[in-house]
Formats: sequence, C-alpha cells, structure tokens
Amino acid sequence: MIVLRRRVGQAICIGNDIRIVITEVEPNTRAHLGIEAPTSIPVHRLEIYEKIHQENCAATQGDTMAWLKGAANDS
Amino acid sequence: MTHKEQAWKAIVEVEQAETFRFPQGMVGFPDANDYVMLNSGHGDIVCMQATNRVEAAFLVTPWDKKRLGKQPDLSADQQACLQDPDENKLLWLVVLNPFSDPAWVLANLRAPVAINLDTSQGMQCIQGNPQLDLHFHWMRQPGQAQQAA
Repeated sequence: MIVLRRRVGQAICIGNDIRIVITEVEPNTRAHLGIEAPTSIPVHRLEIYEKIHQENCAATQGDTMAWLKGAANDS
Repeated sequence: MTHKEQAWKAIVEVEQAETFRFPQGMVGFPDANDYVMLNSGHGDIVCMQATNRVEAAFLVTPWDKKRLGKQPDLSADQQACLQDPDENKLLWLVVLNPFSDPAWVLANLRAPVAINLDTSQGMQCIQGNPQLDLHFHWMRQPGQAQQAA
C-alpha cells in the first residue's frame, strides 16, 4: 500500500481521471475526502461495497432457475 | 437472434433487443455485463441471467411501492450512468436471495437494480440510506408457506 502525507486542500491523482482531495480533517477522528471520478467508475464506502458484494454472492450461491421452477411447482 | 452457449448446459437463444446492458456489471461481477430475463412462472419473480457467466444469475422482482414505499432516488452519478432516464421509463428491481435462510426469501433493499427501459441499460444502485434492509423478509420459502397454511 502506498502511504502519502497530504494537508487539507491538497490532492492526489490516480491515473488520468481520478482526483482525491483532502477537504477536512477532524482531530483524531475522520478525514473528509472529495473525489472526482468519471461517472463510469463507481465510488462507494468500502464496508458498504463489501456487504453488497457478500449479499450478491449469497444470492447466486445456488441454482436460481431450479429454485424458480421448484417455487412454481409448489405454488 | 444471438446464440449464447453455456458449455456445460445448453444453448440459449436470445433476442438482441431483450438483452440488458450493465456497463459496470453487478457488484462482485464486474465482467458480467449483458443480462436476459428468464421466467419460469412463479409470480413476478424472474431470473436475471448474465449471458457470459453462468453463475451470475439473480432472482429479481419489481420494487413493490405498497410494501416498500417510494422507489429510491438516483444519485447524480447513477443518473449519468443510466443516461438520464425518464422516471416513467425506469424499472426498479429488488435482488432476492432464496438460499441463505431456510424459512424466508430475503430481499436486498440496499442495492436495487435500475434499468432504463429506453436504452436497455442497467446498474445496481447502492443506496446511501443505512435504514434500508439488507435482509428484508420478502416472502416465505414456497415449501414453508404450504406448511404454514
């Protein structure tokens, strides 16, 4: 992992299209980031993204068509 | 007409016009970009099947305003990704998970799917609202429903 020291108002860039600006730092708590990225690149809080990833994997872990056919037979 | 061959299963014939394009894929499936809707007749639940990855198959059902309240809002980025859809041509779907709970089919309200019916373009829209339930009890498992009756 690359670790960069930045002050409020300073930025880093990732590739040509992504800029991350430090907008505010709360003492010993949180950093506020401003992110400029193309709309084709989704930006999410990691913990939320990981939860959704986990849910999508759980939702596809079985045979969905078999479940659907079984449900149709049961109804 | 396009032939999508799943090597170990079958050839599925797909009308090009009935394919939905997800430029970003679904979360966790970024390379599964084209989906078709397959229905085997259980109410309004359909299988959203990726045409290039057999394991990317999601059960989805329309967002039910009576049960869930108004449909989510699109963020500015989501609007742009979906090519500024007309609200009336936007289809909201909930992803169902029938595999994790033996008694209930669960619905993920935190990351519904939006499809722009004008452009056949879709995306999974992660919602910022932490009140939205990841494991909403959508319906009893069909076998369980019969036992309860």
